[in-house]
Amino acid sequence: MNSLNVYLTIGAALFSIGLLGVLQRRNLIGMLIAVELMLNGANVNFMAFNRFLAPDPTVGQIITLFVMGLAAAEAAIGLSIILALFRRLHSINIERAQQLRG
Amino acid sequence: MMQWVLFVPELFYILMAAVFFCASLSRRQQPSRLYIWALTISAVGVVVTVLSARQEGMLFFDAYRVDLYSQLFKLLIAMGTFWVVFSCSELKGVSERQHAEFYFFLSVCTLAMMMLVSSVELLTIYVAIELSSYSLYLLVPMRQRADEYAETGIKYFMIGVTASAFMLFGISLLYGVVQNTYVTEVIRILPTVIHEPAAVVGLILALSGFFFKQALFPFHIWAPDVYQGAANQVTTYIGTASKMAAAAMVIRFVGFSNEASELFVQLLVVLSILSMTFGNLVAIIQKDLKRLLAYSSIAHAGYMMIGILSMTQRGYASAIYYAIAYLVMTYSCFMVIMRVAEDGHNLQIKELAGLHKRSPLLAMTLMLGLFGLAGIPPTVGFTGKFLVFAAALEKGYLALVIIGMVNATISLYYYLIVIKAAYLLEPVHPYPPVPVDSWTRTMSIALVILMVYLGVFPDQFVALTEAAARSLY
Repeated sequence: MNSLNVYLTIGAALFSIGLLGVLQRRNLIGMLIAVELMLNGANVNFMAFNRFLAPDPTVGQIITLFVMGLAAAEAAIGLSIILALFRRLHSINIERAQQLRG
Repeated sequence: MMQWVLFVPELFYILMAAVFFCASLSRRQQPSRLYIWALTISAVGVVVTVLSARQEGMLFFDAYRVDLYSQLFKLLIAMGTFWVVFSCSELKGVSERQHAEFYFFLSVCTLAMMMLVSSVELLTIYVAIELSSYSLYLLVPMRQRADEYAETGIKYFMIGVTASAFMLFGISLLYGVVQNTYVTEVIRILPTVIHEPAAVVGLILALSGFFFKQALFPFHIWAPDVYQGAANQVTTYIGTASKMAAAAMVIRFVGFSNEASELFVQLLVVLSILSMTFGNLVAIIQKDLKRLLAYSSIAHAGYMMIGILSMTQRGYASAIYYAIAYLVMTYSCFMVIMRVAEDGHNLQIKELAGLHKRSPLLAMTLMLGLFGLAGIPPTVGFTGKFLVFAAALEKGYLALVIIGMVNATISLYYYLIVIKAAYLLEPVHPYPPVPVDSWTRTMSIALVILMVYLGVFPDQFVALTEAAARSLY
């Protein structure tokens, strides 16, 4: 079980589950959580490459720490926008927010 | 060694952000005073960037490179910011209580994009692009009295964070293949391992974050809605300054593969063709001028890609020139929109009727800007397209160039519809005259001169872009 491939598979699975969640969820909070899953999939990748391949074993860990910090900032911004939207529409369901068609 | 001198433009915009952060804390705010402050500071910012244009060096453990390439793009970003601030005199789209915050986010975003074009380390690039995106996520929903556009902000946010997650995943794969995060190492090692699927997939995913900012085809979905739903000034900022940073990073990342991968080049060709064709065809049916410009920006991302995917120095230089041209032309169009829609509403094309009588100068600026976007000589847009197509022909991409030219012809149709509205149509009911103050008049004349001069005498500027492309590697 202690091989690079296992961890890469876990990372890719997390990323795919997250992507599926973003595409399929209709609840904005759920979409936000799904995006966090995608970021964590990338984090698992960084840690795995760091553990098995990289000559300098700190780089991947530092990147992961940075990404965790950025993800927190991202969640804060996302929640503030969702809150503003909730005040206008009284719902956090994405179906209610469909007036513009890209 | 006075290393901090290299960092002066960024320090200046940190200062600007600090000033407006303090201003946003005070309870009494006078919009006119804030405007004067913002205008002065951003004008000084342009001067500072020009003065530091010739600096070279490395900073922060070699993660940050200051060279002609980055300084040129910093200058473009600073110019874009100054122009956007310049047209904020009637910032009606944003509530008065939030003006200080608006300027604050604008300066933070400018700072982040300046750091983005200079950073040569993958983590630094990621942090910089996230910082600039976060400011834009907050600027977009700032529009007041816009219930029908309420969902714009959340749409932009969701698509943006998904694209950045893709980018991070791509960077993680690149890190796994190269086992180093410095761009110089990536350029050295990546061409030797490009046959591995992880390398190509990583590079493409990493690029998707920038494609999102540039609104290239599969990542364009946000552009029309955000252009339409954000306040006019914010749209201008997204359409001009933010596109410059994205173009700079796409040029840098595409250069990673160094033409070693046939598949990668073919994918870029397909994206470029789809982007041009889709943008131009859908733009034809638009009624809202900002939406039309959004689709035209998708098409222009495709044209720029033609120059980039040539992967020669001349190709990169032509793409840089195209970016300069795009900045000037798009800003001209947006400035007219902001002046004509003084109260900050979304301008419909038919509202332009009779503009040549209401304000001949603005009509002429709009006409030259649109002619430039369509690529008609002697404007700067023609020269830009010519250089891009010439660079692609040199590499033998004949079919791509022909498709590009067909697209330029299609695009002429909808640009001419707008010009027809401004010059030939009589208004159904009389619109109020457009007030044009002397500053705007000066700016219009300067833009017109710039567009024609850049188009007729491009030699110096082409030499400048070629020097910038040389300093890239």
